[in-house]
Amino acid sequence: MTNKHKIYYVFYIISGLLFFSNLSAMTKAQYESNLLTVKISTNAPQSISAFYEARGFQKKMLDILRQHCFVSVFIRNKSKDFIWLDLSQWKLTNADGEITRLDRNYWKAKWQTMDIPLAHQSIFRWTLIPEQLDFHPNEREGGNIILPRLDKPFNITATFPTKADKQGSPITINFNNIECANNK
Amino acid sequence: MNNRLLIYFFLLLAPVSYLQATTLPEGIIKLTAYAAPAINLKDIDGEPFNLNDDKGHWVFVHFWASWCRPCRKEMPAIQKMWNHMKNQGLKIVLINTAEDEDTIFSFLSVYAPDIRPLMDINGQVTEVWKPRGLPATYLVDPQGKIQYQALGGRDWNTTSYLTFLRKLIK
Repeated sequence: MTNKHKIYYVFYIISGLLFFSNLSAMTKAQYESNLLTVKISTNAPQSISAFYEARGFQKKMLDILRQHCFVSVFIRNKSKDFIWLDLSQWKLTNADGEITRLDRNYWKAKWQTMDIPLAHQSIFRWTLIPEQLDFHPNEREGGNIILPRLDKPFNITATFPTKADKQGSPITINFNNIECANNK
Repeated sequence: MNNRLLIYFFLLLAPVSYLQATTLPEGIIKLTAYAAPAINLKDIDGEPFNLNDDKGHWVFVHFWASWCRPCRKEMPAIQKMWNHMKNQGLKIVLINTAEDEDTIFSFLSVYAPDIRPLMDINGQVTEVWKPRGLPATYLVDPQGKIQYQALGGRDWNTTSYLTFLRKLIK
């Protein structure tokens, strides 16, 4: 095999790896243990837009929402003690570094500036997962977290404090290689 | 001797604590009672409602929205529970969060046709009550204090919840 052939082989292998690594990025993932269930899924801009449009949201609001990456999160506490959701303890990263989540204060300020009706602001808020919640045994809740739209897969490291005083052993889970869903 | 007395004491207490712990149906939590925030809203027919007018009764206060999947699942059970309880002294307040009249009407005409809903048009009353999520149910005592909260949607038409509600209003 000549050096030229070797270079071609290496090129093909790298291209193949890159191709499959993109293919293997996921729009859905699930963590399951005897203490906790966490499911995440990203939603295509089209379906996000359709949901809010059906609630009467104005076009200017929909145009903005379509430009973001919606991650639906479902959490169920299967343990016999408190488990805390605290989004400040969730770390989102991708190849470019840390990703800043757009929290409810960001959206509140945005909608107020745009003079969005209170009813729509309220519905929007209720579709977000709480920033903090003490999950009682067997409690389940869901909602969205919102990120800037990313063209690279991202990772979520979510840490859940435990026990009423948050002093129990924390549960840390990882979701890797998640991608923002695209329209089909 | 003292140790033995202590053991007897805890053995005597154990069944009592067990009973107390099992009195509440699944997903109902006892809160440190606090005054229920005001509810001054209009119902779907435009009639005003004030929670203060229900003082003297236990009130089942429920927040919901038609887009919320657990709300859709829970609502028929609330209607059935209400069919059992409406003549027994319990009051019910269904508060829709921030939806319009048409949406509320078409939803409730299917899921809970006999309950007159209140419209929290701007979602501001819901905001003040600070539910953990939607749906949310609170049980307000005859003095106007919130005593219990239900976690998420519950199957209110089952024996454990009906028995619990009947014990409250006795």
